[in-house]
Formats: sequence, structure tokens, C-alpha cells
Amino acid sequence: MPIGGQKQPPVVRELASAVLDGVELSAEWNRQFETRVIEDYDSSPLFELAALTEAESIEWCYGCGRCVPVCPVDVVGEYGPRKVHRKLQTGINLLDDPDLWLCTTCGNCLRVCPKQVDMIKIMPAAREAAMAQGKEVPAELQGVFESTFKYGNALGQSPRKRPAWTKGAGVPVRDLTKEPGRVEYLLYVEDYWAYHPRGNDAAQAFARIMHRLGIDYGILGHEEKTLGDSQRLAGEKGLFEMLMEQVVETLDRFEFGAIVTPDPHGFNALAKIYPKYGHEFNVLHYTQLLAPRIGELEFTTPLDMRVTFHDPCYLGRHNGEYDAPRQILEALPGLELVEMMRCRENGYCCGGGGGGMWLDGHTVNHTSERLSERRVREAAETGANVLAVCCPYEVSRFEDGVKSTGLDGQLKVRDLAELVDQALGGPGAVS
Amino acid sequence: MSDRVVVIGGGPGGIEAARQVADLGLPAVLVEQRERLGGTPIFANYAALTPYFANAEEAMDAMIAELAQRGRAEVRTSTTVTGLSGEAGAFTVELSTGERLDAGAVIVATGFDHFDPGRERQIYNYYQYPDVLALQDLEAQLKEHKVVVPSTGRPPASICWVQCVGSRDRNIGNEWCSKVCCGIASKQAIEVRKLSPETRAYIFYIDMRMYGYWETQLYWPAQEQYHVQYIKGIITEVLERGDRLIVRGEDTTMGRPMEVPMDMVILSVGMEPSAGTKAMSDVLGIERNRHGFIEVINPPLDTVTTSRRGIFACGAALGPADLEDTISSAGAAAGKAVALVRRDNLAVA
Repeated sequence: MPIGGQKQPPVVRELASAVLDGVELSAEWNRQFETRVIEDYDSSPLFELAALTEAESIEWCYGCGRCVPVCPVDVVGEYGPRKVHRKLQTGINLLDDPDLWLCTTCGNCLRVCPKQVDMIKIMPAAREAAMAQGKEVPAELQGVFESTFKYGNALGQSPRKRPAWTKGAGVPVRDLTKEPGRVEYLLYVEDYWAYHPRGNDAAQAFARIMHRLGIDYGILGHEEKTLGDSQRLAGEKGLFEMLMEQVVETLDRFEFGAIVTPDPHGFNALAKIYPKYGHEFNVLHYTQLLAPRIGELEFTTPLDMRVTFHDPCYLGRHNGEYDAPRQILEALPGLELVEMMRCRENGYCCGGGGGGMWLDGHTVNHTSERLSERRVREAAETGANVLAVCCPYEVSRFEDGVKSTGLDGQLKVRDLAELVDQALGGPGAVS
Repeated sequence: MSDRVVVIGGGPGGIEAARQVADLGLPAVLVEQRERLGGTPIFANYAALTPYFANAEEAMDAMIAELAQRGRAEVRTSTTVTGLSGEAGAFTVELSTGERLDAGAVIVATGFDHFDPGRERQIYNYYQYPDVLALQDLEAQLKEHKVVVPSTGRPPASICWVQCVGSRDRNIGNEWCSKVCCGIASKQAIEVRKLSPETRAYIFYIDMRMYGYWETQLYWPAQEQYHVQYIKGIITEVLERGDRLIVRGEDTTMGRPMEVPMDMVILSVGMEPSAGTKAMSDVLGIERNRHGFIEVINPPLDTVTTSRRGIFACGAALGPADLEDTISSAGAAAGKAVALVRRDNLAVA
């Protein structure tokens, strides 16, 4: 008789496939319909992850579940911060799991976590470790890393084309590589305003607004490179640091008072990450530059719009700016601002952060719908006909979402700069 | 030398400590900053005391009346302690009235404050939505034998309690379980179901912490006789959709996010060190622990002795405590205070 007397070891009940209500389920799913048997209860993946620098808080989770309803991915899938912890406990290595690439680092779990389990630090550390160990990185993301390394932008475009957008602005935009000298503001355009067609629209609108305000500013032209904050959060800290060295070296050669950028991710890098490496710059998000001066603009064209505003995670939750964009919107004639249920501190993520911008092909296999689709449906529920954004990732993400959810014709997506420009009379009105 | 014991704080713990000191044969002076005795059960409008459902006002009045019968116990209301000098056995206690009392020992019974839900990092919108209340707000309604949605004045079709608000939270800085809120919520749910049988009642929790007999005094009856629905899964946020409150949280059992419309939401706020606890520990020169409650120096077998000889503490001044804990520690503090004074006097003699 064994020491355990009559005890028998448990039998694993997992079918290669099973049919439930007519739906065929693979083992991964049908094991949920049997007792969960974990023969080898080895939590070492949890301890190994917690041993990584910046990832120690993964062990602090006490399973309260507050993160679940605010995690944008959990709402549309099986991923969730506390589930990550639980899976690690049961011996599933996050570094080998699709979960590794689902977190957008939106920061909403950390906001509500009573134990300060910090996914914004854990996920990049885990991703970095996965790459160091030669684990598989989703190809689309890998491609972006390579493009960023080669060309200094995520889109794999030629640096020469970076200032091309200025031609369509209808106003002069000073390229400091051609017209050197001190400027009050350095406009750090970042990738999506520089290269994406819809980003170009916003950049050009912004140039017209700056012109109208008479603000002394310039751009780095072909010398600008991405700040790479989303690449950092996607796990490529090395790439981020390399870019930072180059960017700092470039910035040293130009004279400016402060940096203004449309990209909350770039803003985050300059405001929060660069100082950790000893690089201090005055940096403003473009809404922070415009909001105090919005009264100086003479608007000519009432917009006649019902607008709802999407808080970018990296402007709002990560950097605490909720009011500047709203001050701008509220100043526009004929515009009625309505809020979505999830706004401000609780804003729902568009799915683009933390590398999510370049992981749609991966994420789509693990979610019931895209985060951007969920968000545009929420925007439409408010009765708004315009979804206003102030992050360069979002126009393209949400416009795709509008199309795929059938909201075409009902909801438009507009950058704040485009709305301001339109209220000023648009491109034709520029003197 | 003095054989008087000064007790600071006129709630249940302080009243009990003063009564015990008097019963053990020494003079006691009970100092209370408010205009009357009774403490939080009275001033926070408690309806029925947990877990026996005694009427709070009647129970406190009886306690106060009993104290008044003790010739050796005096009361100073609308008075605070402003200074302390001397040492154990021969303290001088200064009062805000200018009076100076000699005392052999001091007992601190300064209680707790309710956590302010405005400080919560989760979005419960306590100050934004009239129909989101805290435990003590509902107590005030129950004291008047009614349960109504503040915005409509009508009984709620549905009501829920959200547990662990302001407790067990490193973000907020309150790294303790407040011990009583699970029981208080269950008690209130029973009262609501008695007063308004049509109201559906839900309690959302991380884990139900029902110490000892509370399991059968509160938890099981709430479930089995009053059909209160306990749902494992905490609520992260309370939002508004149209004119209804929406609570969003996790359905832990099913492993999914959950969203439920609700007429009325009660936040089960925890305990924090009271303003009086902080002020008195400074005046008396006794240590607070890292949570801000008064530190005891020889736990676990001595639960009331503070860092300064001759000063003892009881009740929720020491940390989250229910009424039974409070009364017990008040007795312990009184016993130790009296013993110390007698020994000191003996040593002098």
C-alpha cells in the first residue's frame, strides 16, 4: 500500500477535440469542461519572470480581479493581467505564450490595482527577455523593429521623404536642416504624421494653425528619427536606447526653446523616459501648446458637429493630461462635446500602444473584435458624428474600425488639428 | 503620585475603559472632544450594531447611563487633551479647558475614521453620483427605517455593496483589511431586505472575511433566509449610462468581465486612523505603526501597551476592530492601567 493509502493519482481528461453544442473545440478549449488537473504544479515561470529587472511586481497579485473589467483586451478576449499571473502560477511560461504580445501597456490595470502590479514595466521586461532567449516574435512586429533600425521610422519609409508632407500645407514650414537658426519650438513630427496620408492631413492642418498663431517653429526634416517609445514597450529597449543616442546627438545640433509633438508616445519618451537617462528637454503635446492660445484664433466656420473625444492612453493616464484637448474642442464654434462612458482616467485603449500598432495580425487571433472596433462602436453610441483624436496612431486605426463595423457615413474620425483648421476656414482660408 | 486614570475618547471603547477602571476601584476621567458621549455609533448614525442587531442609540445610551452610575467616573465633554507631562504614576494631563489633571495612567480610545471614497483610485464616483453611498450613509437611512434611492426618493429595485473600498490597497496606502466591512455589508443587506422585500440585494466581493461566528450570525442567514446574492468578483468602477448606474467588475467564477445596471451602490468603506488618533499620539508622545494606528510594543500577548510607559490604547485606535474586539481591548487596557497605578503607588509606599 502506498503512503497515500487508497489515493489514486488523478487522470488528465483532455480530448484532442470535442464537440459541444455543435461546435468543435480543440484540446486547449475543451479542457475547461473537465476538472482542471495540473499534475506538475510548477510555478517556476512566475519566479523566473519576477526575477527580471522591472518585473518583480508580477508576484504581488492577490487575485482581486479589479483589472479585469478595465483591461481593454480582457473585454474582447481571454487575456487579462490577473490571468497572466494565474497562468504563470500553473506553470505556463509567458515568454512562450501568445499573451506576451496582447498587452497594449494602456495602464488602466495599474490605475486600479491595489497591489501596484505594474504591467507597463512587466511586459516590456518579459518581451525583452523573450527576444534575448530567441523566442518567436510576431513577424509583423519584427518587421517594424527592422524598419526602425534601418530607416529610423516604423513604416520603413525613406528618411528623405520625412518632410514631404510640408509641401501640401499651403504655408511655409521651416526645415531647420535647410534654414538653420534658433526657433522657439521644435516640432517633433514623429512617424505617423510624417508618413501616413491621414497623418499628413493633420500635420498640414497643424502647420496652418501654427502659421495663423505666428508661432516661431521648425522641424528636423530628414534628420528626424522616431523616438521609438512603442518599440521600447514592445520589448526593444536596445533599439530605443540606440535611437535615443542618435536623437540626442541630433537635437544637440539645433537650437530651440521647447519640443512640441503630436505623438503621445514620443511625448512620453521625452517627458518620462529620457530624463531617466539624464536627457532633459522641455516638451509639450501639441494640445498643450494650442489650448492656452485657442482664444487668439478667430474662427470663421461653425462646425455643426456632435463630437466625442478619445483620450490617448499615453497623454491621459500615463501623463495626466485630460483637459487641454477638451479646452480646444470646447472653444470651437458650433461643436457639441459629448463624453463616452469610458473617458478620461478610464479611457478605453485604441489597441495601438505598447507595440499593438504593429500586432493587429497577432491580436486578431486572440480577440473577438479589435479594440479600435469596440471603441468606435462606443463612440457611435453617444450619438456623435465625429470621433476626435489627438494621437497620430488613432486616425488610421479608428477609420479602419469605422469601416469594419459598418459605421461608415455615420461616424467620422478627425484629428483635433483638423477640426481647429476647419473652424478657421480650412486650407483655402490660409493667407 | 496619582491613582487617577484619564481615558481619551468617549466612544464604546473609552466608555468601557472608564467603566472598568471605576469598577476596579480607581477614579477615572473620560475626556471627549464632542459635546456628548457615544462616539462613532452615534455620530455616524449607526442603526443596528453588528452582529446582534441591537439598536445602536439604545445600546450606547444604556452604556452611557451605566457609566454615569459609577461615582468614580467623571466625564469632560467638548474637551480635548492638549498636553502631557511627567511620567507613569505621576502624569499631568492638560485639557483644552485649562484644567490640569494628575493621573497615574492614560488610556487612548480615539477610534477610527471612515475611509473617504473620494480618495479611491478606482472610479466609484461617490461625489459625482447621488445614488452611490458609503456604509455610514445607508446607516443613516436604516436608522430612519427606510431605504430609498436618493435621486428618486423611491425604494431601489436593486442595490449592491462593493467590498474592500479603501482597504487592502497599496495604491491608496491602506495596506490592511478593515475586518468589519464584510459583516456590516451583510448586516445592512439583511436590514434592507427586511425593510424592502422587493429590493434585490447583491454583494460583490474579493473574498468574504467572516471571522468566527459572523459566518452563521450574518453571512449564512443573509444568503439563506434573506436571499442576498453574493458574487465573487470585485467592482472596479461605477459609471452612468442614461439615468442608470452601471457597475463594472469581474465575474470571477466565470472568469469574465461583468457589467450590471444597479439603482443604488453602497461602498463598503474601511477604517482609517482617526484624526484624533494622530493628534493624541503626538500630544502623548507615543509611537504610531507604519499604518498610522497606535503601535503596541509587546504583541501578540499584550495588545494594549504603547511605547510610553503608563499609556495604553484600545479599540480601533490600535487598528481595524469590531465592537467586540474594542470592548475586550478596553477591558484589557483598563486592567493594565489599574495594575500599573497600584504597583507604582505600592512602590512609593
